[in-house]
Amino acid sequence: MRGKIFVSLVFMAGLTLLLTDEIFAHGTGYRHSGFRAVALEFMYSTGEAMSYREARVFSPSDEKFAYQSGRTDEAGRFAFVPDRAGMWRVIVRDEEGHQCTAEIEVTAETLAGGSQSQDTGTILHGRELLLRGMLGISLIFNIALIIRRRHAH
Amino acid sequence: MHISEGILSGGVLAVGWAGTVAGVSFGLKRTNPDRIIQTALISSAFFLASLVNVRIGPSSTHLTLLAPMGLILGQAVFPAVLVALLLQAVLFGFGGLAVLGANTVVMGVPALAVSMIFGRAVRVATGRGRVAVLSFMAGTLAVMMGAGIAGIMLWMTDADFAGAVKLLLVAHVPVAVIEGVVTAFLVMWLKKSAPEFLS
Repeated sequence: MRGKIFVSLVFMAGLTLLLTDEIFAHGTGYRHSGFRAVALEFMYSTGEAMSYREARVFSPSDEKFAYQSGRTDEAGRFAFVPDRAGMWRVIVRDEEGHQCTAEIEVTAETLAGGSQSQDTGTILHGRELLLRGMLGISLIFNIALIIRRRHAH
Repeated sequence: MHISEGILSGGVLAVGWAGTVAGVSFGLKRTNPDRIIQTALISSAFFLASLVNVRIGPSSTHLTLLAPMGLILGQAVFPAVLVALLLQAVLFGFGGLAVLGANTVVMGVPALAVSMIFGRAVRVATGRGRVAVLSFMAGTLAVMMGAGIAGIMLWMTDADFAGAVKLLLVAHVPVAVIEGVVTAFLVMWLKKSAPEFLS
């Protein structure tokens, strides 16, 4: 009886050793990547960050299925690592229907490690925002005056 | 609540423009020439309201003032919405020109509906509490109706937007409550200080 138990234990120990590599293969790990990421900032036209919004990345080779999806961070930032040169699209949208599409030209030089910085959005701040607001109100009242004049005639 | 350019299908955009043309034609016929400057004033408030951001947790949204517009301008509300949205698209980049018709329907229909449902009741109401409750209901309903119309347009474009539509409606619940409170205070102030605006 003892002999049988001993043989069984030896068999199980051997099996465990054989499977050790297999078990370790399901572990996790990380390493610093040398790949160049494309980092973007998304904001509303008032300058406010598009925080925690849904973001989808479309590669030049497949415009239908997203290459990557996720969310922007609190500051409206989102990054991805392109794997080929060409025109990449990043679409960020909120629950209210606002959407921003960034089109990024990734060159072979960028993939090889060159820097890339593009400013494609229109951000309105302080004075410009105020001027545009005043222009809008002025236009509304001018349109109203034109309509009133037509009614008077 | 603005729907951005490039989301809606051609058919839905066409329906939006058809609704806008009908609503603006109707509104222009109902516009009282003596109240055109008042209409411009309300349209300006709506135009600027989009710049007032309301923080909700990690997200934020902006005021729409749909119910006050509807209650003050009544059946003449559509032209005021169209002009304000056109200038928001051109000057601030909200929405877009192709989607302008759809956005005008999304915001004009609730404003018009609120004026028809609550307009008379708010005008004749006397007690402060009754005015506040009616105005709150008008403000809340206008926002949820606008979100509902935007949701229908997204769903008509692509049934896959169903998830986004649910999110859209849920995201607008706090906005609706805030708009309800703002509408209640605004209407109570108008009833007391400038009741001719609601006449």
